[in-house]
Amino acid sequence: MARSHAISVLLDDDLITFNRVIGVVRRRNIAIASIAAGASQTPGVSRMTFILQADDASADRLVRQLQKSFGVRHAVMFPAEEAVTREIALIKVRMDPADRAAFLSVVSQFEAAVVNEGAGACIVEIAGAAARTESCIQALERFGILEIVRSGAVAMRSAEETDPAPAPHNPSEAVL
Amino acid sequence: MSETLTGAQILCRELLAAGVDVIFGYPGGAIMPFYHALPEYPGLRHILVRHEQAAAHAADGYARACGRVGVCVATSGPGATNLVTGLATAHMDSSPILAITGQVSRPMIGRDAFQETDIIGLTLPITKYSHLVQDVSELASSVREAIAIALSGRPGPVLLDVPKDVQNQKFEYEPSRTAIPGTLTPGANPGFPGSLDQGIQEAAQLIAAAERPLIMIGHGVILGNAYAEVRALAERTGIPVITTLLGISAFPESHPLHLGMPGMHGEVHVNRAIQHADVIVGIGLRFDDRVTGNTAAFAPRAKIVHIDLDRAEIGKNIPVAVGLVGDAREVTRRLVQAVEPRNCETWRDEIQSFVRPRADAFSGDLSPESILASIYEVTGGHCTIVTDVGQHQMWVAKHYPYERPNTHITSGGLGTMGFAVPAAIGVHIARPDESVWSISGDGGFQMNMAEIATMVQEGLSVKMAIFNNGYLGMVRQWQQFFHEKRYSCTPIWSPDYVKLAEAYGIAGWRVENRGQLADVVQRANAHAGPALVEFVIAQEANVYPMIPPGGSLSEPIEAQPAAAPAV
Repeated sequence: MARSHAISVLLDDDLITFNRVIGVVRRRNIAIASIAAGASQTPGVSRMTFILQADDASADRLVRQLQKSFGVRHAVMFPAEEAVTREIALIKVRMDPADRAAFLSVVSQFEAAVVNEGAGACIVEIAGAAARTESCIQALERFGILEIVRSGAVAMRSAEETDPAPAPHNPSEAVL
Repeated sequence: MSETLTGAQILCRELLAAGVDVIFGYPGGAIMPFYHALPEYPGLRHILVRHEQAAAHAADGYARACGRVGVCVATSGPGATNLVTGLATAHMDSSPILAITGQVSRPMIGRDAFQETDIIGLTLPITKYSHLVQDVSELASSVREAIAIALSGRPGPVLLDVPKDVQNQKFEYEPSRTAIPGTLTPGANPGFPGSLDQGIQEAAQLIAAAERPLIMIGHGVILGNAYAEVRALAERTGIPVITTLLGISAFPESHPLHLGMPGMHGEVHVNRAIQHADVIVGIGLRFDDRVTGNTAAFAPRAKIVHIDLDRAEIGKNIPVAVGLVGDAREVTRRLVQAVEPRNCETWRDEIQSFVRPRADAFSGDLSPESILASIYEVTGGHCTIVTDVGQHQMWVAKHYPYERPNTHITSGGLGTMGFAVPAAIGVHIARPDESVWSISGDGGFQMNMAEIATMVQEGLSVKMAIFNNGYLGMVRQWQQFFHEKRYSCTPIWSPDYVKLAEAYGIAGWRVENRGQLADVVQRANAHAGPALVEFVIAQEANVYPMIPPGGSLSEPIEAQPAAAPAV
């Protein structure tokens, strides 16, 4: 049965490895909800986080294929619902001065923030779980949404469980 | 001590340092500096192919025959893209080859320059590793790393893309002393709880408790040189051995415990044994769909013990009771120590009762079986057979009596027609002292027959057999069984192969009946130089039995169906 998995990959910080990792995911025909990439705790090593819908066996096969890909230091999966997942979204909303009070009330209701304001529009920033972002977007729709930029979710399994730090680069180990 | 060398010279020096002595290639604009340097290094023999695809297949054949990295070289653009099929073939069959491609000079990259392609991007899914060399300073380490990766763990193809200006760049070269790592040490498998030792104990207990155990072996036994260990396991336990297409020749076929090939064209008794088995010990195979048929119906009673170097293979295609990750030789050796001696006589008798008289598949007296028997008799088995893809490939797999390890080379995973002739060139160079026969159908042979010229120019004594039935036979067979005998686009015209041989200046014969067979095979095999033999076989000869695609191993087609079944 398909459910939401977070797949967290530590990989060499170069585009060819990013490309290889994306290719391994792509050719397995798995529905991707989001992709996020950025720095990890180790210089030269990036972290990619995939949120995807798949049955456990397919997700596990994907992780094993990732683990043996050159440039991948570590790959792990965990159920997205049980993990801490966060994303940031920037939402550009049309701003009619007449709606200002109602608009600000929605912003404060979602603990969002207005981070940029111009004539007739402003940018709202919201960070949190994807569901909250979705609700916030829905609530802002009546003012007129002009543009949305979402980072994709980053995820950590829990405070207790820490993935091992990436091993030093060694080609004979990186490729199984 | 350092010396000033160009990138091209460093490339040659590093190949020599890695033990490379032959390169299959084709020159062109972006690889010209390399070809300029090559004559300075006579230790690197260059085989000029007629198409870059053949360079990749020849490197693949070479690597499979001797276990060393096979090297192919091409220029940028079309030269590089022509390698793609060969790289994909090597990737599917875990063959260690290094492709070196020229690339346009660095300032031109990304500007759609003449003969520029993103070969790294094109080959990413079909290589273990690929790298665009950005500067001459990283060239030597890139070559070492690429070769180490190709050979380590589960072998596979790697690609180095070297811009033309990097080949010309000068550098203070200092040979490094980095050793090339060998195969990966087997260790604990993080996919399964417990250590390898614990897994081996569990496997040994399953084997001890089994009433109907089987051993299935694949290419990993050949790559891991685990012949003696597999044989010891079989002989200690009396468990019959099944060899997959790429596992053929890993276990002597005259051995009383050898059963045969499983799967789509496996013998009925082999597939029935699988369907009745309660434990299957799979070593170095990946339970490919041509082996399992419908996985839901595959070996329904069996617990699977799976030994593989690649942990991603464990449980990939079928559920596994015990997964053992590691080198086939080492893990099997430890399993042999852990199992108690036993005998599976009752089970073997039961399998014998499954054996069916062979369906009368061949009409006409020049049967594929008789041709293969003749090649075996003439060569005394001191021969490596390289097959193409299609009916002849299955006939060879089923009927040629392999005795010596790694004497059967074929494109299994990708099923690349046109593989046999160029791959046989590589095999011949790796094994100059024994006969190498490529066997192709009339379709596959015509895909790469231009390589006859390569054999002539390089003096390569490859023997080429063509099974000519005037059809793309395997596709025609599928059309016969599953597509209402509508032979759409499968009849294929051939040139006069004897005259073709004459045009190339090589020996050539046509065999049309059994009476000519032994004499011609004898003369072709003894001929000093390339030789071609066309065998004219029955047009509608079929490969039996056959499991329909996606069907269960329990439901073979054993003879020509009266009416086409619905599939």
